[in-house]
Amino acid sequence: MSDGGKAESKTGKKSRITRAGEDNFGRAISKVAVAQICENVGFESFNESALDSLADLAIRYLLDLGKTAKFYSNLAGRTECNVFDIIQGLDDLGMSTGFSGASEVEFNCTISSGVVTEIRGYVESAEETPFAQPVPHFPVVGEWRLIPSFLQMGEMPGFKHIPEWLPAFPDPHTYIHSAMWNERVSDPRTDKIELARQHRKAERALLNLQQKLVCNGLPVASTSAEPDDYRSGLEVNDIENQVLANLPEDEDQDESPAILSGKRSGEAKMENHVTLLEMFAPAVEAMKDGLSDSGNEGEKNFLSKRPDGLAAKFSGEVRTEKHVSFLETFAPAIEAMKDGHSDSGNYGEKSFPGKRPAVCLEFKGDKNVFGESLDLRIRNKNFGRTAPCFGREDEKDDKKRRVEFILRQSLENQQELT
Amino acid sequence: MNAQSSQQQSSDGRHDDDAALTDFLASLMDYTPTIPDELVEHYLAKSGFQCPDVRLTRLVAVATQKFIADVATDALQQCKARQSAVVKDKRDKQQKDKRLILTMEDLSKALQEYGVNVKHQDYFADSPSAGLDPAARDE
Repeated sequence: MSDGGKAESKTGKKSRITRAGEDNFGRAISKVAVAQICENVGFESFNESALDSLADLAIRYLLDLGKTAKFYSNLAGRTECNVFDIIQGLDDLGMSTGFSGASEVEFNCTISSGVVTEIRGYVESAEETPFAQPVPHFPVVGEWRLIPSFLQMGEMPGFKHIPEWLPAFPDPHTYIHSAMWNERVSDPRTDKIELARQHRKAERALLNLQQKLVCNGLPVASTSAEPDDYRSGLEVNDIENQVLANLPEDEDQDESPAILSGKRSGEAKMENHVTLLEMFAPAVEAMKDGLSDSGNEGEKNFLSKRPDGLAAKFSGEVRTEKHVSFLETFAPAIEAMKDGHSDSGNYGEKSFPGKRPAVCLEFKGDKNVFGESLDLRIRNKNFGRTAPCFGREDEKDDKKRRVEFILRQSLENQQELT
Repeated sequence: MNAQSSQQQSSDGRHDDDAALTDFLASLMDYTPTIPDELVEHYLAKSGFQCPDVRLTRLVAVATQKFIADVATDALQQCKARQSAVVKDKRDKQQKDKRLILTMEDLSKALQEYGVNVKHQDYFADSPSAGLDPAARDE
């Protein structure tokens, strides 16, 4: 309630201040003029109400005088007033107070009229005090915006009895209300089905992409990936099977690059494999020199054959002793490969300048791609990274991230929908 | 004859009067009334007075100014009379504030002569007991 009261008082104040009543401007000016006159007379200050009353009185006097003068001019058969009309009006208004020569009003409508004499005396005696501030011409008349006539609009009035020069009718759309309804009927079920279809489509596309990448030699995901990532897991398993099949083979390392290149010549993403190979090349060489174990050789070959499978293997699933020894020897290299494949790019650039420049893809798995890319870069610095590889890696990073994100979302949604 | 002479005289007088009037009106142009011309024109137009001549508007302005000045003078006299009356009662006291204030009281008295009845409320009370002595209020 108190707030209500406050609001009222506020609005009351506002209404007092901002309400533009009729003729407020004229009244304000008359107040100032009257105050100036009073000051000349001898007053030093005024009561607000007294000043208001006197200003109102002045306005009324003006109006009365004008009205009377107009009346007299009309009486004489004129529309425009002249000085005699005013003098007669003054006589009328001054009758109550009285002035000299009031009895001879009818004859003395001129300078010898008592009123005029008084005014003359006043003009001569009173000191001249012009109005304090410049007053603009008022009331200000705004522009007249006339409704265009039929002729101006170029329209023909619909009816015979309406002449052209009259204002035109408003446009029909301003007054005719036509029914509006939504043509498209939205069926929530169909919308849902459509949404599911689109999700599946996106998911399929992503998985195809993933397959391609995996085939090209990049480990898609470790087998320790999420359980719902079954498709990618399957692919990884396929690769692993292939890797295992190749394991017992004994080939020279020198042949392996050729074989690899031959294998991947048809594939678009040849660079990946090359780079992986490159990555292991120095490690393999070191192995050659240092190792005497056949198992290691086998592993070495295995490595050269299937570098993509290596990551899957080395993520922790050591199946044979060979792996163990291999792991021990090539721990740093293995680590690097595990964490990412950006290294491959570096190695590629270093050892095989003749080959196509490395495409550094970091497509390790669902969870690891985002977080470890930074680490990879830091680690790769140690291996002497080159600038172009770095730049390309960023692009691939973003794309891969987006792909992963979409894939994850689609898989989640798939769970919802199925 | 008499009529003729009188007429002649009056016509001569009229000529003189007219000349005097025109002179007077011309003299008006030199005098700038306190009430601005725009205000006068606005209210005359409102009342139906139609005249393109500036001198007439000046005449009206001067007439109004004279009227207001007369009213103010009367009010001043009332105020002074009251002040002198008060002072007469208490001479030992310091002379009353010499400020001349146009109050509603003086104005209403002055306007009564002109046939304008302006009655002003002395005060507005929100309850019947307002303004009474504390003793009376307690009762």
